[in-house]
Amino acid sequence: MRHGHGIRYALLGVVSQNPAGVHGYALKRQCERILGNFWQLNFGEVYRVLDRLAQEGLIEQVLAESESNRKIYRITDKGQRSLDRFILAPPTDAPRPLRQELAVKLLFAGPGRLREVLHLIDHQRDAYMRQLHLLGVHRRKLRHAPVDGFVTNLLIDGAELSVRAELAWLDDVSQKLKERFTVTP
Amino acid sequence: MIEFRNVTKIFGASETTVRAVNDLSFACPRGAFWAIMGPSGSGKSTVLHLIAGLTPPTAGSVLVDGANVAKMTSAEAAALRRRRVGYVLQTFNLLPFLTTEENVGMPLVLDGVKQSEVDARVKEALAMVSMSHRAAHYPTHLSGGEQQRAAIARALVIRPAIVLADEPTGNLDRAGGRAIMDLIQDINEQTRVTVLLVTHDPVFAAYSQRVLRLVDGGLQQDMALPEEPGQPADGDLDLVG
Repeated sequence: MRHGHGIRYALLGVVSQNPAGVHGYALKRQCERILGNFWQLNFGEVYRVLDRLAQEGLIEQVLAESESNRKIYRITDKGQRSLDRFILAPPTDAPRPLRQELAVKLLFAGPGRLREVLHLIDHQRDAYMRQLHLLGVHRRKLRHAPVDGFVTNLLIDGAELSVRAELAWLDDVSQKLKERFTVTP
Repeated sequence: MIEFRNVTKIFGASETTVRAVNDLSFACPRGAFWAIMGPSGSGKSTVLHLIAGLTPPTAGSVLVDGANVAKMTSAEAAALRRRRVGYVLQTFNLLPFLTTEENVGMPLVLDGVKQSEVDARVKEALAMVSMSHRAAHYPTHLSGGEQQRAAIARALVIRPAIVLADEPTGNLDRAGGRAIMDLIQDINEQTRVTVLLVTHDPVFAAYSQRVLRLVDGGLQQDMALPEEPGQPADGDLDLVG
């Protein structure tokens, strides 16, 4: 999903979980807790998106009834309908395009640079293994964290599957390159 | 410390030889958790066999805590396996006519340890793998994951310096495999036992601190997997978008 699109509904969702309204600081904390596991949150962007949601009438800023006269964010009926439509609409995530930087390198490297290309593949494999390691570290932290990591675990599962596929592809590419251009050690 | 110095292992004779390990050198420090990956037939399991003294190298030396395994008599190699090296396999190899605790205690019984000591060590090992409640059950009444836990307890009961795990998740589903890997990781951290894991699964290899990738018996790639400073500390992996 496009980042802007996703963050918009993610924030709308967080606001909707506070039917009585939520003030800015609590909203920031909740965003970190709920989304921070899989989203690099830039709070400048968060507040810009909140402003936009308010302009479109999907959330409203009202004065808190009690204690202070702090402003709180609350979802509107229009916002709730928009969120419901989003939740049930088919995801817009597109399958990965048939495009890889490595493929471009392969097209123009030529057999003379096979050894270097194989080295690049090793380099890429190393990066993916590190990514898997970090995902594992993340999963482990989640296992010991006092929050429900159900959705984050699903995301980690998905990320692991795609890294696994990339690694299998790299193995395949290096095997086929060796077969085609037989390298002498 | 496990050290390979220019180790080559050739199986067979004359025209039908297979070079399973080819001039392999590495030094795995005590307490480390390393993984060995590579395609089938790349020599992964042979590396473990060489460490356990199950087969001698054709050339080079295999050192376990400074002792050259290649120069050991078969009795010395057997003692190494009985007292210092725990082995965990894809097939759990539990004896079906013995209970879990009897299976776990078997290496100590074979080594002539007295029964009261066996009982205490079995209890300790079963607790480490969270299998105390299954002590009196027979292997056929255990799930695959529980059988592997029992097999890991059997490897740990000797209080080994090294655990060699050859595709320990191979017969388990994803969740079961993950649980076994979590356990192996915890054991490595808690007991500082050196772990060498052979696996073809990159997700499980990534549990380790270093991955050796073998191709045709040689070291193709050596990948260190440190936690990058400041990386996922409080979780800011960008998994979407």
